Parts: sequence; structure tokens; C-alpha cells
Amino acid sequence: MTLAPPAISFQDVAQVFATKSGPLTALGGVNLEVAQHEFVAVLGPSGCGKSTLLRLTSGLMMPSAGQITVLGLPVTRPREDVGIVFQQPTLLPWASVEENVVFPVKHTKGRVGPAHRDRAREILETVGLGGFGKRLPGELSGGMQQRVGIARALFLNPDLLMMDEPFSALDALTRDEMGYELLRLWQASPKTVMFITHSIPEAVLLADRVLVMSERPGRVIADLKVPLGRPRSEESLRAPEVQEFAAHLRSLLIKPAKPSPKPEAA
Amino acid sequence: MRLRHLRDRSLALGCLVGVWMASAQIAGPTVVPGPFATLDALCRMAGQAAYWASIAQSLRVFAMAFGLAALLAIPCGIGFALVPRLGRAMEPFVFALAATPRVAFVPLLIVLLGLGDPAKVALVFLGASIPILLNTWAGVRHADPDLVEMARAVGVSRWQRVAWVILPAALPMMVTGLRLGATIGLINTVVAELYTAIGGLGGLLARYGASFRMAEYMAIVVTLSVVGVVISSGLYHLEKFVKHRME
Repeated sequence: MTLAPPAISFQDVAQVFATKSGPLTALGGVNLEVAQHEFVAVLGPSGCGKSTLLRLTSGLMMPSAGQITVLGLPVTRPREDVGIVFQQPTLLPWASVEENVVFPVKHTKGRVGPAHRDRAREILETVGLGGFGKRLPGELSGGMQQRVGIARALFLNPDLLMMDEPFSALDALTRDEMGYELLRLWQASPKTVMFITHSIPEAVLLADRVLVMSERPGRVIADLKVPLGRPRSEESLRAPEVQEFAAHLRSLLIKPAKPSPKPEAA
Repeated sequence: MRLRHLRDRSLALGCLVGVWMASAQIAGPTVVPGPFATLDALCRMAGQAAYWASIAQSLRVFAMAFGLAALLAIPCGIGFALVPRLGRAMEPFVFALAATPRVAFVPLLIVLLGLGDPAKVALVFLGASIPILLNTWAGVRHADPDLVEMARAVGVSRWQRVAWVILPAALPMMVTGLRLGATIGLINTVVAELYTAIGGLGGLLARYGASFRMAEYMAIVVTLSVVGVVISSGLYHLEKFVKHRME
């Protein structure tokens, strides 16, 4: 019996983009590993290459240097067993909710059988959108649209779920609600999740482990286990050690403040 | 709300007819026939087969040229957008054609194709194809890149991405192009008929204008605007429907 390969592994991965003002190093030598069924949050400031990390793992982009493997195989192109939830819902506005959910099979395998339809209805039920299958995306709220995006990513029951700041375009209330929703979904069927975010509470609530990234060129500067068991709830976040953990994450993200100007005499 | 619109529009129509009557009074009915003289001429012509035959002739020229423009300009626009190198190579020449008054081609087209339908169709085609081409081109080029990437991420092949994501996303712009192309096409139809002075509503316009039969002349002008309104409002509603459905 062989040891299960890590779900995701990065070895010295660098990504350099050519821009008008010369080469731009987005990622500078990233090493990381995500075990199967682990929920890992990637936390970092804006523009640190978090999304690049996700695009590389999903096979939407090839690294300039280094090696990436997913479930033991080098990444060469998007694969079916990796589901992606984007920052925006990215739904086809002219297709019904159900058509959007089955889109991955509709246009790769050509045929959508009754089994796929049943699966789509089941997954829509799971994300709380039972009965909305015939609606158009434009008739749904932002939060509901993002649920459709999640349903589409889960439709083929992927081993790996990649989420790129999936709740960042939502209002604060919906955002919290979606976090708990995702927690519930994950507890029902724990998949490997790579969750890109710049929200500390979100990372702490959801993840087993938090990878903190530096500013550009992005590197993993800390790899920390979240001191919280499961199942989790709203109360879990109030525990003092969790508060302390969040404060530590904050200190890693925020660069040391510049020396403050001398207070003027009152 | 609806009723108020109707009332406002009737009021505006009343004002316009008033201005028309006033100018007929000032210029004299031999130069500007009033609304009643025009209506009278229109009724007389409506009883004649020649009037309807002229409308049919104009519409035939327009429909052939417009169909041809849609058939050629849409694939060209898609091609220019999907193969950026081709698009970049063609861009200055398309813009040059767009900026040249199409009337400038009339003498050339008459020399090349004579005074019959082919010359007219060619002129209308030149007018209608440009907006269709430019709008299709822009629509395909600006199809939501996030949707395209989503399709790529779920393993949809390039040609399927074009068929199922890019072209549907570009459809509203294509319909806008068709509407603009139709408007320009209608204008060019009359221009072509005026210059060749043979056939169609433009031909009647030239004939009545030259023989100072101003009431008939005015009746043709009214006919032209009715035809124009019917066609462009039809396409406008199609455009609204497509936009509502696709966006």
C-alpha cells in the first residue's frame, strides 16, 4: 500500500508576467502542500499573487518555473476532478440556473442525460436553491448567484475545490451567511479545498490551516494550523485562543507601521 | 403612463402638422403642399398599382442588400475578432471605408454595374455592412473574459467556447449592428434610386420632384418615413428582446 499523494503540491513555483514596464514577478518560489480532505485558506494582501496560485493549480496557467502536482499528477490543463468557484458568479446570463449547473457536461460531453439533471437538482437543493432551477441568473440576488457558482463547481463531485475569494463581491451580511453555508457543505462532504481570501475571520472560521502570503513577489511566509476543532459555529470564533490566532495573522499581514510623527503639543 | 405618452405624442404631432401648414401658407402650396393636399395625393396614389410596385421594388433592393450584408459582415466580424492578427491587418481599411461617404461610390458603381438593381444593391450593401461588421467585431472581442475563462476551466474546447459562450455573448451587439445597418441601408436605397433615377420610391421622388408635382412628391416622402419607422422599430424591438434575454 502506498501513501496517498498530497492533493496539491508546489515545488519552487515561480510566475513571471511580461508587462509593458518589464517583467513582473507575481510568485517568487512558492513551496506548499495540501493534504487530501484538508481545508486550506490562502491569506494575503491584494496583489500578492493569490489568484495566480489558484489559476496555476487549476491548470488555467503554466508556471514560469517549478513543479505543481495535483493528486500526484503534474498539472498540464484544467481537469475535471477540480471544481472552481470564481470571485464573480460567472454564470451565463442567457441560460437558466440548471443549464448553468450542467454546463460542464453539456459542452464537454455533449449530452445531458436524466442522471445529470437529477444531480443538478440535487446539488441545487444542497446549496439551498431547490426550485430555482428554471430561473435566469439575473432574477437572483448576488448571494444566490454565487450559490449557483458553487453548485456548478460541485456538480461533478470534484476531489478538489478551488475557491478564489468567492464571497468578496457580496455584502457583509450575505458574506457571513455564505461562510456558514460553506462550512455546513464541507462538513457534510469534506473535500480538499483551497480557499483564497483576504479576510482573516473567513480564513479562521473555515480552514484547517492558513497559508499567509507576502506582498509581491508572493511567497508563503507562514503556515499555521487553526486552533479550532470541528464542527464549528459562530461561537467558536469567540474563544480567546482563536482571537489571539486572528491577531497573530493580522500582525503578519500588516507591515510594521511607519514611525508615527511626534504628537504636537496640545 | 401609457395614456400620457400617447397624449404627449399627439400633442407633438399636432405641433409638427401646424408648422407644416404654416410653411405651406408662407411658401405657397405649389412649393410646399400642405398636409391635406399631401394626404389627398397619398390616397390617390394608394389606388394605383405603380405606387405599390415602387414600394415593393425598393424593399426588394433593400432586402437583398441587407441580407447579403448580414451574411458577409457577421462572419467577417467574427473572424476579425477571433483572429486578432487578421483583425489588426484589416482595421485601417475597414475604418477608411466607414469614413468614406458611400455616395462617392455611385459613379463608379454605375460604370461598373449599370443603372439596374446590381448597382443599387451594391451601394446599399456598402452602407449596411459597415455597422454590422463593426458591431459584430466589437461584440465578439469584448465577450466577457471571465465567462470564457470559466468555460476553459470546466474543460470546454476552443470551438465550443466560441459556439456556446462567445457568440451568444456577442449576439446583442450583432443585433444592434443589424438595426444600425438597416437604417443606413434604407437611406442608401433611396440615395441609389435618386441617383439612378430609375425605379423604386427614390425613382418616384426624382420624377415628381423634377416635374414639380409637389403633393405627390411629399406623399412619397411620407411613405419613406413610414417604411423607415416600421423597419427600424421592428428591429429596435428585436434588439430590446435579445438584450433582455441575453444580458
